[in-house]
Amino acid sequence: MISVELRVNGSDYRLDVPPGAYLLDVLRDRLGLLGTKEACAEGECGACTVLLDGMAIDSCILFAAQANGREVTTVEGLSSPQHLSALQRAFARAGAVQCGFCTPGFLVAATELLERCAEPSEAEIRVGLAGNLCRCTGYTNIVAAVRAAAEEWEA
Amino acid sequence: MRTAPGTIGVSSGRLDATAKVSGSFVYGVDASRPGMLWARLRRSDLPHAEITRIDVTRAAELPGVRAVITGADTAGCVAGRYVRDEPILAAGRVRYRGEPLAAVAADTEEIAEEACRLIDVEYEPLPVVSSIAEALAPDAPLIHPDWESYWAMPAIRREGNVLSRASLRRGDAAAAFATADRVFEDRYETAMVHQVSLEGRVAIAEVDGEGNVHVWSSHQYPFGLRRDIADILNIPLHKVRVTITGVGGGFGGKLYAGVEPYCVLLARATGRPVKMVHTREEELTATSPRMGSVVEVRTAVSADGRFLAREGTVFYEAGAYSESSPGMASVGPMILPGPYRWEALAIDGVAVYTNKANCGSYRAPGAPQAAFAGESQIDRIAAELGIDPLELRLMNAVEDGDLGPSGQVLEAVSITEALRRAAARIGWGEPAGPNRGKGLACSWWTTTGMPSSAYVQLNEDGTFVLFTGATEIGTGAVTAGVAQMCAGELGIDPCDLTVVSADTETTPYDFGAQGSRTTVQAGAAAVVAAADLRAQMLEVAAEKLGCDPTDLVVADGEIRHRDDPALALDVVDVARLGRGGLLGRGSHEQPPTPFDETTVEGAVVGVFHNPAFAAHACELEVDPVTGEVTVQRYVIAQDVGRVVNPLYAEGQMAGAVVQGLGQALYEELVYRDGEVLNPNLTDYKLPTIVDVPEIETILVEQPSSTGVYGTKGVGEQGIIAPPACVNNALRDAVGVQVARLPITAERVWREMQQE
Repeated sequence: MISVELRVNGSDYRLDVPPGAYLLDVLRDRLGLLGTKEACAEGECGACTVLLDGMAIDSCILFAAQANGREVTTVEGLSSPQHLSALQRAFARAGAVQCGFCTPGFLVAATELLERCAEPSEAEIRVGLAGNLCRCTGYTNIVAAVRAAAEEWEA
Repeated sequence: MRTAPGTIGVSSGRLDATAKVSGSFVYGVDASRPGMLWARLRRSDLPHAEITRIDVTRAAELPGVRAVITGADTAGCVAGRYVRDEPILAAGRVRYRGEPLAAVAADTEEIAEEACRLIDVEYEPLPVVSSIAEALAPDAPLIHPDWESYWAMPAIRREGNVLSRASLRRGDAAAAFATADRVFEDRYETAMVHQVSLEGRVAIAEVDGEGNVHVWSSHQYPFGLRRDIADILNIPLHKVRVTITGVGGGFGGKLYAGVEPYCVLLARATGRPVKMVHTREEELTATSPRMGSVVEVRTAVSADGRFLAREGTVFYEAGAYSESSPGMASVGPMILPGPYRWEALAIDGVAVYTNKANCGSYRAPGAPQAAFAGESQIDRIAAELGIDPLELRLMNAVEDGDLGPSGQVLEAVSITEALRRAAARIGWGEPAGPNRGKGLACSWWTTTGMPSSAYVQLNEDGTFVLFTGATEIGTGAVTAGVAQMCAGELGIDPCDLTVVSADTETTPYDFGAQGSRTTVQAGAAAVVAAADLRAQMLEVAAEKLGCDPTDLVVADGEIRHRDDPALALDVVDVARLGRGGLLGRGSHEQPPTPFDETTVEGAVVGVFHNPAFAAHACELEVDPVTGEVTVQRYVIAQDVGRVVNPLYAEGQMAGAVVQGLGQALYEELVYRDGEVLNPNLTDYKLPTIVDVPEIETILVEQPSSTGVYGTKGVGEQGIIAPPACVNNALRDAVGVQVARLPITAERVWREMQQE
């Protein structure tokens, strides 16, 4: 076991974890943050996307130890239940959510995109979300949702 | 036709959207039970072999292992709704690499996995049958030597490695071919492709002291799953409860029992809840993909382009066990003709066993394979006859009153309108530019019938609860469509309705999220239940108000006299007067669609109920050096009868098209010697957001007389034609087509070299 310190969605944690524990498993199994999903377990699909010090990463292939001393934001950290973020509202309104299993990863990746590029073109939206797979929507409404959210985004 | 209330045709929000965007929605993988154990399966290392020894001693001794079961413990536990041919744990023979041999429950998933590795298995290898041609060879080894002894649905015709042969014969095809001006003959192939729902199969089972089984599963069809568990494990149906968790995608892949029977057996053996989650590799190597196919098609036409007759065979590769393939074999003869007029048809759909994981139902099962062949060939015919592909299709497209393949009289036909609108949107006839081309393709598809039922309850505060056996798998069919239809009939906002769904003990029967049926059929049942409740409310109010119920209307939370607004009762008072017991009941089943039953033999699907139509158009660019295809624009004009929720109907169309583009351009389960070589999402290439354009959707509304409000099925249609549409645009761009999916750069390049 090794000790790691994480700040997750604004709360500080000190945890003893196996050296080989992935950040995703620590978030889900130890912290009970079930919003972040696993779908491929090898960094291809983006369902496990979280922010690490503001950068979107695949938490299924990042050791928890690599996040030691750093700040992690999951889908649960994007909003409070009473106040959804502009992206979350836009995803819900624009039909960007069907089964929703990819949605947390897309929301986290899109948050990172809008934080560094407040007025993305369609091409920039697509490239910014190229690491996330969706099987339901055909992506059309996801692009529309990000575009709509960008209009009211305050980076 | 029932008049649609104001909630219909509106893009209202879905009732699960906030939970899904906030990360709090509970999927199967997120569910747990106190004291839960974890299960894993030991799977076969070989694709075809006799098991000579299986020894679980070392696995059972591993600390933390709580139960190990093998085929010796599951004698008689055999799955198969059409043909009962699949032992849930192999005993004696294995027929595909990855077939379950043993199941382990342990304190952690890692221990269960390690225990599976410690199970010693010895095999005597058998010859591997790895293609349709090998399976049909005269000297082919029989994959099921005892096939004749299996129980099978009586309609299904079987013979050796052929697990189903469905035939369609209408008119005199031989005469048509003998006198036709031109005959075109082609052969096409398609690869196995997978649903890849992002959440794979997952379930938890619990067995109480009375032997009552409770299963929580990410599944599309709770009542079918309950039946499967009861049948496979020989448990009385009423002792099994299935509760559907949140479902992270299905696309047809979660219609049959998968992980659940193992969880039940291990829960029974240990007295504790047991959870099993498939890995991505298990999903891709051992769960029901779309059948691969070989399609032989001959078409007779007149010199001026009139379609006369089509004959051919759609061979489907079903894998080791039948699952849904016997039914899907009969889809080929319905799809190969397309939505066109024919004087004669002679088409077989043939599903064969091979030593690969059994295939199953993937969105419009059986259809894209046949449509790829039928629609690709139409563009070859157009080119050879010098007729514009749009004109050729319009000339032959079915209209109201024409016959479907098996002789049904078609109504509410919209393919001409769909074609014209799709063609106009893509700019048909305007030049596409160098190395660019435009293509068209058409499809038609059924709206599956079968029963749906619902209850609607009036709460004491005047709000309502809908209980529906239908399952929300992500489409919005339940949390938007069915809710809107129910709310409309009640005269309330859908947001004021609570929906309880998909639990075999708390919601009434439904045939499941399959066959594009949920909004149409479960919606109709909810409308009937809401109308029944409203009638009861009016009855109660009329008695209190001393008037006739037919003079009362429901509006704005009260029931009032149509001529005397002062004579009114609040819905809350009606609930009280009803002694809290007002419950509407509704059930619905579309009447069977008449067709000429003498035209089909061995067919599970002999006719398309309440059919809908679609036209696809795309524009693409081909890299002349590499052959790589980039789809620049994609248009789908789809007939939905009457749209309930435009946002989610168009969402289904766009999503289906992109899955179809995956099959067209990228996806293939690559097998070698019975082994899947790409069992992961690095090597199994799905379309990403940068691979596809915006999908331009056009809703065509041609209301049917059979669907409530005129509705037709929506979900599957869009996946049928994209491979053909891309292939046709490829011909327009560079003058070649490919005969095998996927349309890889290499295949295009090779065709271009031969030109």
